[in-house]
Amino acid sequence: MKFDRRQLLLGGAGAAAGLMLPGAGALAQSPASIGTFPDGVSADSVFVGLTIPLTGVFSGDGGDLKLGYELAIAQINAGGEAAQKWGLSGKGVLGRQIRYKVSDTEGKPNLDVQSATQFIQRDKAIMLAGSVSSASAIALEELGSREKVLYMVGIAGSNDITGKNCQRYGFRSQQNAYMAAKALAPVVAKALGKNIKTAYLVPDYTYGHTVYDSFAKFSKEQGWQQVAKEVVPLGTTDYSSALLNIANSGADVFVNIAFGADAVASTKQAEQFGVLKRMKLVVPNLSSFQDKELGAEIMQGVYGSCDFWWTLQDRYPLAKTFVEAFVAQNKYHPRWGAHIGYMQTYLWALTVERAKTFHPVEVIKAMENSKSQPYDTTIGKVYFRAEDHQMVRPIPILRGKAPAEMKNPEDFYEIVDVADGESAMNPPEFFGCKLGPYT
Amino acid sequence: MPSWPALISQAFNGLALGSLLALVSSGLTIILGTLGVLNFAHGALFAVGAYAAFVMLQYTHSFVLTVVVGCGFMLALGVLLERTIIRLFYNRPHEDQILVTYGIGIVLVECVRAIFGGNAQRVPTPSWGQGATQLGFLIYPTYRLQLIAIVAMLLLSLYLVLYRTSMGLVVRAGIENPGMVGILGINLRRTFLLVFAIGVVAVGLAGMLYAPVVAVTPDMGANFMAQSFVVIVLGGLGSFPGAVIGGLIAGEIISLTSAFNSSYSEVMLYALMALLLVLRPQGLFGSEGRV
Amino acid sequence: MKAVRSGEARKYLPELSVLVLLLAAPVALPHLGFSTDLLTRVLNWGLIGLGFDILFGLTGLLSFGQAAFFGVGGFVTAYLLVSGTLSSVWLALAAGTVAAGLFGLVVGWLAVRRIGIYFTMITLAFGQMAYFIENSPLSNYTGGENGIPGVPVPTLGFGEHAIRISAGLPMYALFAVIFFAGYVLARRIVHSPVGAILRAIKENTGRVAMLGHNVAAYKLTAFVIAALYAGLAGGLLGSFQSYMPPDAFSLETSGQLVVQTIVGGAGTLIGPLIGAAVWMWLRDNLQLIPAFATLWKLVLGIAFIVLVIGLRRGICGEIAHWWTERRDTAALRAAEAATLAIEASGDAVTITLASHARDIVLPLPAPKRSESRGESEIALEARSLARHYGGLKAVDGVSFKVRCGTIHAVIGPNGAGKSTLFKMLLDEVSPTSGDVLLFGTRITGSGVSQAAQLGIAKSNQLNQLFPNLSVRENLRIAALGRRRGPMRIDLLRSADSLPDAEQQVDSVLALLDLIERAETPAHILAYGEKRRLEIGMALATSPNVLLLDEPLAGMSPSERAATCALIRDIARACTIVIVEHDLNAIFGLAEQITVLYEGRLLADGPPDEIRRNRQVQDAYLGGLHAHEPA
Repeated sequence: MKFDRRQLLLGGAGAAAGLMLPGAGALAQSPASIGTFPDGVSADSVFVGLTIPLTGVFSGDGGDLKLGYELAIAQINAGGEAAQKWGLSGKGVLGRQIRYKVSDTEGKPNLDVQSATQFIQRDKAIMLAGSVSSASAIALEELGSREKVLYMVGIAGSNDITGKNCQRYGFRSQQNAYMAAKALAPVVAKALGKNIKTAYLVPDYTYGHTVYDSFAKFSKEQGWQQVAKEVVPLGTTDYSSALLNIANSGADVFVNIAFGADAVASTKQAEQFGVLKRMKLVVPNLSSFQDKELGAEIMQGVYGSCDFWWTLQDRYPLAKTFVEAFVAQNKYHPRWGAHIGYMQTYLWALTVERAKTFHPVEVIKAMENSKSQPYDTTIGKVYFRAEDHQMVRPIPILRGKAPAEMKNPEDFYEIVDVADGESAMNPPEFFGCKLGPYT
Repeated sequence: MPSWPALISQAFNGLALGSLLALVSSGLTIILGTLGVLNFAHGALFAVGAYAAFVMLQYTHSFVLTVVVGCGFMLALGVLLERTIIRLFYNRPHEDQILVTYGIGIVLVECVRAIFGGNAQRVPTPSWGQGATQLGFLIYPTYRLQLIAIVAMLLLSLYLVLYRTSMGLVVRAGIENPGMVGILGINLRRTFLLVFAIGVVAVGLAGMLYAPVVAVTPDMGANFMAQSFVVIVLGGLGSFPGAVIGGLIAGEIISLTSAFNSSYSEVMLYALMALLLVLRPQGLFGSEGRV
Repeated sequence: MKAVRSGEARKYLPELSVLVLLLAAPVALPHLGFSTDLLTRVLNWGLIGLGFDILFGLTGLLSFGQAAFFGVGGFVTAYLLVSGTLSSVWLALAAGTVAAGLFGLVVGWLAVRRIGIYFTMITLAFGQMAYFIENSPLSNYTGGENGIPGVPVPTLGFGEHAIRISAGLPMYALFAVIFFAGYVLARRIVHSPVGAILRAIKENTGRVAMLGHNVAAYKLTAFVIAALYAGLAGGLLGSFQSYMPPDAFSLETSGQLVVQTIVGGAGTLIGPLIGAAVWMWLRDNLQLIPAFATLWKLVLGIAFIVLVIGLRRGICGEIAHWWTERRDTAALRAAEAATLAIEASGDAVTITLASHARDIVLPLPAPKRSESRGESEIALEARSLARHYGGLKAVDGVSFKVRCGTIHAVIGPNGAGKSTLFKMLLDEVSPTSGDVLLFGTRITGSGVSQAAQLGIAKSNQLNQLFPNLSVRENLRIAALGRRRGPMRIDLLRSADSLPDAEQQVDSVLALLDLIERAETPAHILAYGEKRRLEIGMALATSPNVLLLDEPLAGMSPSERAATCALIRDIARACTIVIVEHDLNAIFGLAEQITVLYEGRLLADGPPDEIRRNRQVQDAYLGGLHAHEPA
């Protein structure tokens, strides 16, 4: 039945053209109707579908991510001061309010696809966002490209997202494992020394292995030497047997690659095994709430990197706006999950305004051209690389503060450095990215 | 090939890990062996125990007191569940029992999430269990060493209750021949209630004791439940001594596999479970047909 | 003619209803919050459910490892397509389905030897193993936790004319066609001889084996069928959403299937589909209620508990129950009334039965004996049979011979070891030592179903009927055992389409005087009728040797007389070995009597000899004299 309606719209040329608004000139080479465009663009609103794990093992990160999206959408819809600082004008995007729904994916990629398909078919979503795992991101990129609906990647650090599984319709703001490792290794080596023996705890899944490969590569370049590598099944609850090997390895540095609840359990247990007394802890990708979940006693002295830390507000005005608004609303400091949701929503809105249309092909092209016109964001100047849709961006390097150094209960990290993104990038073809067609 | 000290360390760790697995599984096996109910809410109850410890610690600041109060809470929860739901299912097919406990599991986990959120909660190691202890060439967390002793004591007292009291006698008679016990005029309903509650307390206790070691999240029980299944199959379904031996064997498998390659520890566990089911389905201590 | 047509229509009513449902769903259901995407997913779950219901609902085997086959089918299909090994989606689907079937064959071969919770646990173990192996050692092929993206959609036709089956309605249509075909096939399987046997296995596994069916092989068949359905559904999933998700392999997938099947109604085939629809609809729509937000799962959990408490048979099960109850309630009440009448009088039926001796000629011939050694040949021989349970010697070195065509009785006081001996005669219990020979062929160690195929049958001391099957169906399972051999995979023929088996059933029905009760479920029968059916089932396998374990137990005097007459009738067609406490009857019936005492052979001889035997008299503590006919 929906097909009939679309036919009707296209047949009635006047009606269809009326929806397209400016930028119509560029549409000469793009089809007038693609994906949910123009069906999903009504006179006063557009729909955005958010697929987020609210239950299941990723529910903590998912909750944070959701608040980030909701804050950005509220600010954009209100068209107040915050939105203006980002460079948006008026209320909403191109004068249209953003409607949205959140679907709980329980952290299962299958449900990501299911929910997103519902958003496309039922709600005519003009943009998809969300997901808290690389698997979900890969699944949604695939779906977005098939259905020709733009997908702004949520929390996902795997190289594959903008590597071998990259897609024309997906854009990622978070740094990949390669970038994180390349940015982190020199800083840590400078702080801890060059002649270092390392022990790795690697969760046995693709993400764990890619982070390991990247960090091992770049730390070796710094003269570090691996003495132990313990691969453990994903979702392990008791790490004692792996930690026993690590404790007896004689390493100077313990590199913990486990993520989320796994990171919490393994780090907690490492402390009990006396590992943290004898070794420095390095976490290439810090999990969102790892600080709070483990406490400063354990987290002091840890080196790591992540997408965003709230004290970046001292460096970037937009970060300050974000953190203040978020704290006011949610009574805690945002973690980097919320930041990704917040920033990705703004970047999409900005790009739509630049393209002056919701037409996905035009929006994608505008994002691909952002190098010439970088976005000014919560983490300074950034742009999406046209070849693989990976954001080129500064990478904050953090060190855990001792309890005595903390100025407030959530002042867990000091920012040791903000590494330049450009030099940390992998060559675009390095992970075999082949973006698909626009149409 | 790992060195001998490494193997011996892992063998010791297997013992420690195994004793905890035994405690985690004992609640499952008590309920299965006596009531014939395969409790799929087991993992959720484990998590509820851990969260009970988290909450009580905020108020009491004493780990021992926390465990005592926590046990009371688990007992009450066990009684509530048995009286309102479980008792309706003793005469229903196995599948229905699995289903309803599965549903109870969902409800408990989501209640925990609704109250505490999805992030991990901090349950610190008790003050008397801080640090690590040097044991010859091996360093081991003090709290885990203490846990071995605590778990041994708990399992022994459970054993005494189940095998050396008149209630235990009724329970075991109930396993062998429920009809006969009923004819003898013994109040089976009260016994069943007690057994279910003891099973819930046992798994809750495991959650409380494990809370300082693992990440306390709403979904923390899922993995433990799967491992408990392996443990009770290894030892023999419904056999209490079997759960203890099964726990120790599972601990050793995980640990010794780790000495070679940790990533195969889970696969090995399930492979052994399948192998045992094919060769000796009654487990090491069970008798087929009881359940 | 018209009646025939309406009968035909009724026969295909389920198929028609499903067809209408599938056609109407995409038109009607979107208004209730089902998108075509969701409907397609429901169909996919329903497709796994068809196979699973044959395994669980029909055969009674609860598997917690179906995700393994779903995953294997899915990943093999996806890998073949994405790696470029195969370009045709259809071929890849076939390959994935076959791969799942083969994996099912291996797992099933190990699993079907176990029953109840042990079976469930073994499938769970294999499911978990498959999950960890997919995630780690095979991640180069499966993409590990990332799954396989970019699975192409199927096309119809070749070259330029090929039509891509795109997402939305076309994909729904594809799934609907496949589901419908799968449903029709599953219905055929349920109504095939294999289906009838699987159903009997759920009712009483031991008896199915005693009737000559290879139970393990039939269970394995059901297991492989379930794996094939799961594999096909897995393959379709990847193609459907251009992405093969790793969670297909997870324990939760197996769990969800079980939940949906039981909520929808096990044993109805359509139940899993309905269960999936309800579950997914609630999942999707509860989330949309703002007040529930993240609490939707909590609400769903509570709703689920209430559903399990309230609906014992699941949604479709309750509907089907209500439907048949309404339709059959009169017949059922009449049958129950008849039972009451029989139990009240007891005599009316049986007297006619006893009135005249008959020649019994069964349409299905008994198995050929291995050799013929004239008139006085030995039908059955026990050679120093012994069975020890720990220190207890239940049977201790018993030897005796049963001559062909005779009625041979085994007697002895309680605890003499008669029942154990009997069970060893047809290898139901394997002896600690010693052999049993049937017409010179050793049957010990061949298993009870093979023994049945060789021509030995037993009616049990305690009734071993299939209580929810009708009398006719009970007998049919027995007749099929003789007619089809230990194992045959005739999935497409109808269970009642073997004429000689049907004639056999009719003959036995007539013989038992149960014609009027042919369509009555066995559990409704009067006690005496059940006893007759118990004997009739053994008889319907056309045995050479029939073992009767206390056939007269619990009968009224007139029933006893009738049954004795029946036994005499039967004895004209085959050799009978009988264990009975009613010594009056025994001395009236038997031509040869073997006496057991405390597990040992006390005496063996014709009735007169036994009657005079001092040891026998002592063994019965003088009780024998009291029983002597006046």
